[in-house]
Amino acid sequence: MPQKIIIDTDPGVDDVIAISMALRSPELEVLGLTSIFGNTYGEVTAQNALRLVELEGHDSIPVSRGSDVPLVMPLEGLGTMVHGEDGMGNTNPPPPKGKVIDKSAAEFIIEVVHTYPDEVTLVPIGPLTNIALALKIDPTIMSLVKKVVLMGGAVSKPGNISPTAEANIYHDPHAADIVMRAGWPLVMVGLDVTQQVVMTSRFLEEIYKTKNPVTNLIQGILPFYQGFHNSHFDSGGDIHTHDPSAIAYLMNPDLFHTEVVSIFVESEGRCKGQTIADWHNQWESRPEVEVCMNVDGEGVLGLIKEYLTKDSS
Amino acid sequence: MRNFWIDTDTASDDAVAILMALRWPDVNVIGISVVAGNVHVEKGAKNARYTVELCGKKTPVYLGASQPLVREPTWGYFFHGDDGMGNQNYPEPSIPLAEGNAVEALIDAVRSNPGNITLITLGPFTNIALALRIAPDIAEKISMCYAMAGAAATLGNITPAAEFNVYVDPEAAKIVFDSGIPLLMVGWEHCRGLANLVEEEIVHIRSFNTPFADFTIDCNVHAISTNKEWLTEPGLALPDPVTMAIALDPSICTKRSAHYVDVETVSELTLGMTVVDQLGVIKKEKNIEVCWEIDIQGWKDLLYKTLQ
Repeated sequence: MPQKIIIDTDPGVDDVIAISMALRSPELEVLGLTSIFGNTYGEVTAQNALRLVELEGHDSIPVSRGSDVPLVMPLEGLGTMVHGEDGMGNTNPPPPKGKVIDKSAAEFIIEVVHTYPDEVTLVPIGPLTNIALALKIDPTIMSLVKKVVLMGGAVSKPGNISPTAEANIYHDPHAADIVMRAGWPLVMVGLDVTQQVVMTSRFLEEIYKTKNPVTNLIQGILPFYQGFHNSHFDSGGDIHTHDPSAIAYLMNPDLFHTEVVSIFVESEGRCKGQTIADWHNQWESRPEVEVCMNVDGEGVLGLIKEYLTKDSS
Repeated sequence: MRNFWIDTDTASDDAVAILMALRWPDVNVIGISVVAGNVHVEKGAKNARYTVELCGKKTPVYLGASQPLVREPTWGYFFHGDDGMGNQNYPEPSIPLAEGNAVEALIDAVRSNPGNITLITLGPFTNIALALRIAPDIAEKISMCYAMAGAAATLGNITPAAEFNVYVDPEAAKIVFDSGIPLLMVGWEHCRGLANLVEEEIVHIRSFNTPFADFTIDCNVHAISTNKEWLTEPGLALPDPVTMAIALDPSICTKRSAHYVDVETVSELTLGMTVVDQLGVIKKEKNIEVCWEIDIQGWKDLLYKTLQ
């Protein structure tokens, strides 16, 4: 039985790799994509989500548009300098054929979770606004969701959008705190592991040797993303593997070492978006989550290569 | 007929406001959404259902948010009693909760009645803010919102600076004020002082000898004593019914004007304060209207009319 998942996403260059892996995996049944602002504007990420289901004929998978703004903060920065204004490395892809469904992302999540109680894994790989809204509107989903596997945060490494914050959490820290404290089974795939998984230029060149719609798209959009990494981290063309690591966790959790701890999210001031692990239970009690602390990077890269280059199912 | 939607944290004064709307001739209350505020949301929903049943109606009552958007709840039991209804311990009503959640029900109602739906908010703004976040289009479809909220140029009632409904969920209030919904903020000051129902007016209401009149006074017995002892007021203050009176007959608000109104969401001292830029000194676009004066006798006469 494939795992039923909903990917909540702000595509986004690394989202493209993550979603394509999931769509190409027979072990994962993608029930829908829900879009969210983040890497670029909400209007654009919704269009990109449609492009991704259409890329290899998964048009029947519904795409639901989510929030254009954080839960309570005004919209501030987006990730356009990393991902391009179009979220696709400024390649200006043609418009998608399909349309988003009428239901908002939060409503779609609530409906699907009720349709398949205890079966659905939520996979948020963008800011957590839609997930927090769904929880607020219908708190019963907390006990009906099988699991939440999210890409975001950092507990043992510095941030990437600020010295203390990872970008997905930073874009909506209030929503992130609601999701972290909800009390559902949650796995945090953060910078602690995603920065240990490094896609080198050589690795990417290997992938590009296989020609299919996904590798062609990635080859087109990745140079902009690599350019940002080079200019900011002097990375020599290497890039960290953020969103695809969350999909790799779904495919093979044994590649990850996790620890159980409560996570608090700072919502104010210059440390806004910092995810703090209360290792010694010094703050008030709150439900614990699983945090990925170590990873078999080669194993994750192997999955990425396997699923991007195999014949499309 | 005018369509109304009531969002409420139903305790004693909310119940009277609901009763007024349900008994008003040209108003059709499409639905009632309940939010955590004065009391826990399930308790508020019970109180709302009891009120609907008392009026012989079947208006659907939906369960909404059980907590503010991002903060821990603050309750109003100290004011309204342990049941929110003056410790009258009314029996369980026979009308069940409506199916579905309040936020989606509100969105459906607005989209089905664009331009003919008046929203009356009597509690914290959590449900409305959630609805706006997943359905921003409702802002332009709501004809008018009358909100019992804030304190325009006066003191607070839960802290020196803040009125209860805004204090409980200031982030939600800010979202609603900035949403573009045409909104009249009716601050709690309009139920104070001369707008209180004093002893002879309470006796007058009792003399109507209707279940509605008795209910209005009975469920507020705790509120009457807290209002006198704690807020040093002369009698029964009814913030939600004053707001409802204005919604039913807008001429009861005799002075109103548009301003930029912001809500404090950071300061511990003034959290939830509604800051009205009366002189426009920061030159921000006006977002809502503020009610400055009401026709006090007009409000009381309207209340009496609905209780007879």
